[in-house]
Amino acid sequence: MTAVAADLTDVRAAAELLQFGLSRRVRPVEGSEYRKLLDRYRDELRFKDVVDTMAEGLGLEVLGTPRAGIVLAPEPGGPFATRLGDLRAMDQHEKLIFGLVLVGIAAYAYPNDVDFDDPETRLVEVTAIEEFLRTAVAKADLSEAEERARAAAELYADLPALVLTSTGRRARGCTLRAIEEVLAWLVSQGAAREATSLGPDTFHLTDHFRLLVADSAGTTALDALRAVRRETAAEAS
Amino acid sequence: MLTDPISRLVRNAAHAGIAGVDEGRYDLRRLALAAIDVVVGQMGFAREATLDDVLDALARLCARMHPDAPHEWPLVAQTVLKGLLNDANDGRRFTYRFADLSDPETARWEPYSFRLLSLRDTEFGPVLVASDQAITLFLHGLDVDLEDADRALAHVLQRQLEDRRFDAAARTAAQAERTSVGLSATLAELLDATRRDVTSTDWVADLPERLTRARKHVEERIAEDDRFLEHVQHGLDTEVSPEVRAVSGQIVDLLTRAKQVHLDLEKRLVGAREVFLAAQVRQRIARRRRLRMLNLGQDVLAPVLELPVEQALAVTEPFADRALGVTVPRLPRFDDLIEALWAAPRAPEPEAPPEEAELPEDAEDPQGYPPEVVEAARDVLARVDDGETALSDLLAADLPDEVAELVALSALWAFAPDPGDDDTAGSDVGFLAAGLVAVPTGEVITDGPFRGPDLLLTRPMPEPVPLQEDAE
Repeated sequence: MTAVAADLTDVRAAAELLQFGLSRRVRPVEGSEYRKLLDRYRDELRFKDVVDTMAEGLGLEVLGTPRAGIVLAPEPGGPFATRLGDLRAMDQHEKLIFGLVLVGIAAYAYPNDVDFDDPETRLVEVTAIEEFLRTAVAKADLSEAEERARAAAELYADLPALVLTSTGRRARGCTLRAIEEVLAWLVSQGAAREATSLGPDTFHLTDHFRLLVADSAGTTALDALRAVRRETAAEAS
Repeated sequence: MLTDPISRLVRNAAHAGIAGVDEGRYDLRRLALAAIDVVVGQMGFAREATLDDVLDALARLCARMHPDAPHEWPLVAQTVLKGLLNDANDGRRFTYRFADLSDPETARWEPYSFRLLSLRDTEFGPVLVASDQAITLFLHGLDVDLEDADRALAHVLQRQLEDRRFDAAARTAAQAERTSVGLSATLAELLDATRRDVTSTDWVADLPERLTRARKHVEERIAEDDRFLEHVQHGLDTEVSPEVRAVSGQIVDLLTRAKQVHLDLEKRLVGAREVFLAAQVRQRIARRRRLRMLNLGQDVLAPVLELPVEQALAVTEPFADRALGVTVPRLPRFDDLIEALWAAPRAPEPEAPPEEAELPEDAEDPQGYPPEVVEAARDVLARVDDGETALSDLLAADLPDEVAELVALSALWAFAPDPGDDDTAGSDVGFLAAGLVAVPTGEVITDGPFRGPDLLLTRPMPEPVPLQEDAE
């Protein structure tokens, strides 16, 4: 990068845009400061450079600027990177399942590369994800996949889909509850939204999630599950 | 083909288990078109239709169709909307094969895929947008150029007004408004597509031409809207028949809305070029406030406990944010999170047997010299006590190698001690060099195993320490 002096007001505005991006509550509605800064990022190359440079210095990366707002991702090990301690306390098995469900949702929603460029949000249902994952862990060729991914798949296959609590809710230890928890975590991260108007177990996957998965270099397990998803989709049509 | 998804929706709804649907009490086709109507009607405005907007509109229509089953209305609305989103096929595009008969001899089968409605993530949350195909459906399957349709409808409306056929004019005005909304929606979608990907639209030839035509068309339409409004208003002022006055009032409302759509469209057209240019160029923390001292129980807790949850949150959340100090928002990165979740668990390290390290018998310095060598070197250096002596003279005596080396090193250390080298300072060399002063003689040692400037060694007598004077 060549050394170019940046206007201090631009630096302040860039910091403000990153602040908006770090907040999950603010939305770039028409006429808001957030919207103005987002439009500047999209339209002014120089301002974009200031924002990108500042983000880089903070250990962040701008993944995209969809309508719902700027999407930031942390540098590994940076101050903004999610650590396991930020998730609820989980034992080894629960971590394996959490990871597999996350990969499964990504594979279910974005089976084709072209899906990463499609701004249409995906609707997912807890039961549909469960059915897909159960089929996928049985059909997917995970021989080349990470050892822990294979362990996660075996564990998933062993777990029951549904165990009910005494009050009739899904209990810990069943895959439906695990999927519910991952989706709830995605909601807390701004990567999904509940779509209760379309059903109690229905969620939208936002542009934020799409950009996060698109940014991923991908794992062998993700590739294998996406292949199964493509196959099942082809069989269905 | 465009209407087939709606037929499919009707067929699939039969399996939804909704009694009113099975009994045919809901016109699902009409509801599907109404959903598209709501979506297209909101496109091109500041906020597109949300899921709830559409579901509410459909539920209201359901209520009119089957007033006795309110529990079914939201279910029917969901069924219709999910059908339009092709939920049965995981939201994929509707795909059909059609026979291309342009070749007189054969039929070539081509796939044709399209969506009717799709969901987008926006600043307002998920909203619905209609595809061109849905807009065509919205326009009752008219496969016409929207600009031509708008112009043609304006012409028809003018004739009807002149002929005082007010009922027909009201219908035409409604159709004209829909056409304008469709035109606005199409343009909005094109501009959105340009913002996303500048290459998705042909800005070299096609779009500039379309924009020019559309701008000209809108300018004409705005002028005509005013003229029509004036014409109908004039009729309202002079017409005495209550029926005609009522219809004229309807037409005025429709024309006013159409004019607003045209004005909005004009605004978009004026900024369209900028959208393209900006897209083309692109495609390449809270002020501290001092909390005053509060009686938390009396001034904060008690009043908050009396507030409704939402209002209480407005107080407790900012209070907790500040009271708990700085918290760094944590963001996920897909690969890193999966890697962390799937990281092999840390196994406790096996207890290793204690290492049997061979310790030296005593604290002998492996770099040191044997005591007899040190003693011999001290004897050699003692000559300096008798007066100035050159290093070369000391080395000229037939000394054993180790003794000669220790004498030379001591002289060098006296010449240039290394203040940072505490190890040497406490070693044999440091010990022997203590009190020695070495200065270059200007001669050079050339014989023997040592080479370099000769040094003149002296051991000055320590100066007597002056008696400390009593403090005054």
